Amino acid sequence: MIGGSVCNEQISASLIFAEGQQLTYENKEALWEIFEAIGETWQNTIYNSNNQRSSWFEMLKAKTENAPNYTGEYVNAIYVLNELYAEYGKKESFKKLFFESGVDNSAPPTTRLAHCKVFVINEFIRMQITAGGFKSWGDANGGEQAKNYHGFLGGTRYNRTPRVRAFDDDPVHSKK
Amino acid sequence: MKKRYDYIIVGAGVAAATVARGLLLHKHDTSILILEAGPEIKAKDRRFWWDYITRNERPYTFTYDQKFEADSTGNIEYQTDGVRVKAYGGSTMHWGAWSLRFKPEDFNLHTNTGLGADWPMNYEDLESYYNDAESFLSVCGDENENWSPRSKPYPVPPFQWTAADGEMIKAWEQLDVVYQDGDINPGKSSKIKSGKMPVARYRKCMTTGTCKYCPIGGRFNAQYVLDDLKNDPRFINFEVRINSPVHHVNVSSKSKIESVTFTDNLNGKEYTVAGETIILASGAYNVPKLLRASKNEFWTDGIGNDHDLVGRFVVSHSMLNVVGKAKTNPNGWFQEYDFPTLMSHSYNTKEHQKKGKIFIFKNRATPNTDIAQLMIDGKTREEIDAIVYGEMEVNIQAFLEEKGKFSNRLEARPGVDRFGLPQTTVHFSRTDEEMENANDRLKLLEQIIEKMGLEITSSRVDKPGGHHTTGTARMGTAPENSVTDKFMRVHDTDNLYVCSNAAFPTGSAVNPTLTLTALAFRLVEHLTNSEKTTETSKKIEWKYQL
Repeated sequence: MIGGSVCNEQISASLIFAEGQQLTYENKEALWEIFEAIGETWQNTIYNSNNQRSSWFEMLKAKTENAPNYTGEYVNAIYVLNELYAEYGKKESFKKLFFESGVDNSAPPTTRLAHCKVFVINEFIRMQITAGGFKSWGDANGGEQAKNYHGFLGGTRYNRTPRVRAFDDDPVHSKK
Repeated sequence: MKKRYDYIIVGAGVAAATVARGLLLHKHDTSILILEAGPEIKAKDRRFWWDYITRNERPYTFTYDQKFEADSTGNIEYQTDGVRVKAYGGSTMHWGAWSLRFKPEDFNLHTNTGLGADWPMNYEDLESYYNDAESFLSVCGDENENWSPRSKPYPVPPFQWTAADGEMIKAWEQLDVVYQDGDINPGKSSKIKSGKMPVARYRKCMTTGTCKYCPIGGRFNAQYVLDDLKNDPRFINFEVRINSPVHHVNVSSKSKIESVTFTDNLNGKEYTVAGETIILASGAYNVPKLLRASKNEFWTDGIGNDHDLVGRFVVSHSMLNVVGKAKTNPNGWFQEYDFPTLMSHSYNTKEHQKKGKIFIFKNRATPNTDIAQLMIDGKTREEIDAIVYGEMEVNIQAFLEEKGKFSNRLEARPGVDRFGLPQTTVHFSRTDEEMENANDRLKLLEQIIEKMGLEITSSRVDKPGGHHTTGTARMGTAPENSVTDKFMRVHDTDNLYVCSNAAFPTGSAVNPTLTLTALAFRLVEHLTNSEKTTETSKKIEWKYQL
């Protein structure tokens, strides 16, 4: 058990109702700390998470200004974080959340902690990877770094610049 | 809504969009009504896209046939759930955009093998329309390929082979093409040849691998074409009605098709609208059901069904699958696109036609590591590194051509789906010989995986599925052997056409959409009786409206 009464409070597994609600500036900054912590923990970003900040804001906007509204989930995550921060401090709280939450990711989330993990942490992880956080893989043994990933948006319509790690023997298009 | 139109088109997918566009470019004030049973699902929507990225939810899946709405009988299950999108834009909402031409021998299957059917045209008759279709869809492909004769290069250059394709390419270069019992051995050995997958990139494709729901309108979707037509002020008589399932095609005589009857799903009212020409472009599932449902005093078994052929000869592709495993993946390769880049037609030749041609390709998603899922599951960076650079799975796949059989039939069953369309039953069986041929072909794929030095972990023939269903209202030379003539006009009618995969006499071993688009271009020319105009000249006109 990593949290207290807030984390363990039983709630419905469905998305927390929040139609008509919106995030405050402070809410967004609190959520950004989660996103930054993901990059710091797995060392999967180039420099840090800041080059994904505008994309992340755009996702938050899309998820809170259209139905179903995620504002309730995001605010719930802040409640959970605040309880964990008080108990463990920030760094240890993220370690607990990412590696020791005890939440079954494939089961319906029925606690505030599980909601935080399933609707916020897990989705932020997917967002970070598909926004470019996969690029730190591929070169551990001297090979080429990954260039593309399912869901990654980048590149041009024309093949002037390779968008993927290409087969070297391709005489036409594989120049790195 | 008017009471009479020059053209009524049933369905709103790529065939409908191509035909409507062609007719309107030919004569701007042509009156056209498109009737689509399904709803409009918003394209290029950022929220939908983020939900796809973060939750793997796609906004169109609710339109799929449910398992309980589409069953099958026979000695093998025919997959009908999850294969077609019933919505504005049709199955281009979810297609992979692979855009391959049929090969010359596909048009002469029966002549060459004694099995299946011939097309009432040759490859050469369709070649210039393939050029039009490739230009329209912006198909990218390899200018150096020579799989099929072509008079124009691809309009867009191909995608690269990925690094992960390399080991398979090297294996192919070491392997002779094998001729099994039942094949014709041409006598001279040749290696398996590598090709680049032709893909429809349309206007803005940025080659990123987010193809199940594109946030920028890059991958071709018939919605975009229809939206452009609706918004073009020149086309004042063009209308699209969604949520409008057509139940009946009405006649005034044996040969004269008068009107169609549909329901507006939102108000529950039934309407009948007349058309000078009626075009059924609602797919290989819906077209035969609609024809058979349209009974009258002249067509007692349904329009075009005097010889009990409507819905028969249903074919699709069987998918062959072989998976191999390597102990390590030192470069951390994964298939960086969401579509395959490596393919070969070396077993898709006339010599392999009788036993069953196969079109082989490296699976679109292997090797792969779902890095995000590993993080979600709480794996540390070190643990993820070990997985990324550890065991690697590679999957080679092939579409197996099947021959249409009279006994295999798609038909309506009692009850309707949420859009008011009849539910489906597919009666489908394979013969023992077909099963054996499929298993023999599987050995060809196993040979490739073994040549790559991989351990085979899985080898199987998947059940057939409705993704590429063809043949259910096939073209031919006479009512005794087919439902439509070579221009896809239903035999013994003056003004009823089928523009659908349903009209294909054979399914080849490749995806059908490019061929359907080419047939749609050909139909436009037939209907307008115009001189052949090139896609390039049309584009000059087109640019003023986009």
